[in-house]
Amino acid sequence: MSAAGRAFAAALLALAGTAGAGEIKSGSAFLSPQMQRQQADQARNPGWLWVEQGEELFSRREGDAPGCISCHADPGRSLRGAAARYPQIDAASGKLINLEGRIEQCRAVRQKRPALGHESQELLGLAAYVASLSQGVPVSVSAEGAAKPYYEAGKAFYERRQGQLNLACTQCHDGLVGRKLRGDTISHGVGTGYPAYRLEWNGLGSLHRRLRACSLGVRATQFDYGSDDYLALELYLAVRARGLPVEAPGLRR
Amino acid sequence: MASFNARITMPAEARAGEIVEVRVLVRHPMDRGGQVDAGGATVPRKILNRLTVTYAGEPVFRYDMHTGVSANPFVSFTTRAVETGDLIFEWREDGGATYTRTARLVVT
Repeated sequence: MSAAGRAFAAALLALAGTAGAGEIKSGSAFLSPQMQRQQADQARNPGWLWVEQGEELFSRREGDAPGCISCHADPGRSLRGAAARYPQIDAASGKLINLEGRIEQCRAVRQKRPALGHESQELLGLAAYVASLSQGVPVSVSAEGAAKPYYEAGKAFYERRQGQLNLACTQCHDGLVGRKLRGDTISHGVGTGYPAYRLEWNGLGSLHRRLRACSLGVRATQFDYGSDDYLALELYLAVRARGLPVEAPGLRR
Repeated sequence: MASFNARITMPAEARAGEIVEVRVLVRHPMDRGGQVDAGGATVPRKILNRLTVTYAGEPVFRYDMHTGVSANPFVSFTTRAVETGDLIFEWREDGGATYTRTARLVVT
């Protein structure tokens, strides 16, 4: 390709990028109307069972350790919007941390309790509860300063072909949005509904569990829960989702 | 097993004679069993096999569940408001355990 041709292709790509970015939709926009109603109905969305568990854990005290509620009094007000700002840079370590990571850190450092563990029902419950306090709050993560390298890494991850199927996230989640993949509709791949109740899981799961399923789907390396690779990708997805309301606990297929 | 919890959604009060809808969502893995565990033994079935509801002492609803019912089952039913009283929900689990929840309906 000539230099002019390459520049033209780059301009086209940039155009496509900006055109797509303006219309990023939540994962729930691709659900059937029935499932959308079920997600919105607290009596029928099973995710609220975990929110209830999380609310109970939030106010419980174990031994002489302070409970979450000891510092975060009136969480409905004090933590409203908190989940919309994650993942964010942890001031103490300078590393990127997501909501689950923050809860575990609070537990280890302030409550001096053993970690709950990724995908434990307790951690999912707490994360779902804290995220539910931000329902409707637009995602507003920062990708500046110390977060910038993570953002760049997440963007590179998103655009890099990987796995035996040699697919990049962007090929489906930008290029084929609205088309069918197996039984489901391809979404923009934003994580505003997570932790979400997936019918496939019969339970609540984190965004990283969903990302592991994506990695498996393209037969690529599955990274660990809370790994830097997925944290960086989570940040990039959150930047893509800026302005979209937090929906957790979402309902997904 | 994950903690049992139930979300019962119904009006707190109703006029006498009014039809009220009761919606019940419960957390349970509804394990159909039959899998072979690490030791080679067969995992027994463990599901909620029955939900019964009484209202002011009278049985108003019974739901027999089988292995085709999904995890975290949801069910809704209606009943007629007759007098102020408790709706008592009782789930029976394989193995004999029972879980009970109560919700009060005030009839005006």
